[in-house]
Amino acid sequence: MARLRENLEQNENEYDLGVITGTSDGDVGIEHGALLMDYADAALGDDIQRLNIAREIVIATLGEEACGDAAGVISTFNAIDRVADATGIPVEEWKLESSEDFRASLGIEKFKELHLD
Amino acid sequence: MEQNLYQNIPIKVRSDIIEAQGRTLIRLASPGTWFAGAERLRIAKEVRNAKNCSFCKQQKEAISPNALTGKHKSLADLSRPIVEIIHRITTDSSRLTESWLDGILAQGVSDAEYIEIIGVIATTISLDTFAHSIGSDSLTLPSPVGGEPSRIRPASATSDMAWIPTVDILKATSEERAIYAEGKNNVRRALSLVTAEARGFFDLVDHQYLSGSQIADFKNEVSDREISRAQIELLSSRVSALNQCYY
Repeated sequence: MARLRENLEQNENEYDLGVITGTSDGDVGIEHGALLMDYADAALGDDIQRLNIAREIVIATLGEEACGDAAGVISTFNAIDRVADATGIPVEEWKLESSEDFRASLGIEKFKELHLD
Repeated sequence: MEQNLYQNIPIKVRSDIIEAQGRTLIRLASPGTWFAGAERLRIAKEVRNAKNCSFCKQQKEAISPNALTGKHKSLADLSRPIVEIIHRITTDSSRLTESWLDGILAQGVSDAEYIEIIGVIATTISLDTFAHSIGSDSLTLPSPVGGEPSRIRPASATSDMAWIPTVDILKATSEERAIYAEGKNNVRRALSLVTAEARGFFDLVDHQYLSGSQIADFKNEVSDREISRAQIELLSSRVSALNQCYY
């Protein structure tokens, strides 16, 4: 999330990160953001029909190669999240500092609490 | 050598991803640091099996996974604590706790074995999620490659930041330092207790996601991607939000 905001700030885009965590119904502010998020949501689920539709929309809108690239990102983070969760590695200081103003409002702090006994 | 891993799918997969996944399949089946190739493949198969485990489903739905007692539906060729590791990380990793891990280690799984198991789990999930996303069946796992595990433990590993000892880049040997060649963020350090596993997993990450140097460059678009940097980070953020991953 911190990297995304860094990118959006550098390119001076208007954006709403709350859409990503479901805390806002606005426009995430990234071209084709909604259909890419639909693809990610479907890829992490078991509804094959939903996934097929989402994938076809990505292909029709962005192309076959873009779909492959998107699948690469989705699959990487579905794995790397588990590495982080299973090892208890801390978030880097620079990331904590740069995200201090939005972690709580986006509901991200609650994720940390899940690892407490 | 580019392998045709995916057939009859309407997606164009970049050749470097195909090559990285090909290397990854061989690595999964080959002797690791603490597990032989055949054992690594059993772990990978148990990852796939975990999705059908009714006890995992009950735990996932419970307010606390520790509130339930029961037994995972396993393929029955791995020890009980290893099955527990695989099933919990695969199906409910966001609620893992350090005390849970302490309980696992108390059952005889070493910290380094735990890290290698995480590496195999993450690798298998990455490959399977990719196949699922593009509308392909999961890749067929290869036959095991013979040979003994290397049993190399980094001498400089210390318990100063995570639940498991890790290797600080400043204290790493040249081989261990290769883990950080593409980036020094903490998640690269997470698997450093098993150098080969860390290097192998992040080889796949560097191609499916971005390399470290690409990650650090916020100003320029990634030249060999058909989606923008913002779209890449949007996808990564969305997946992590869905997985409730704090990191």
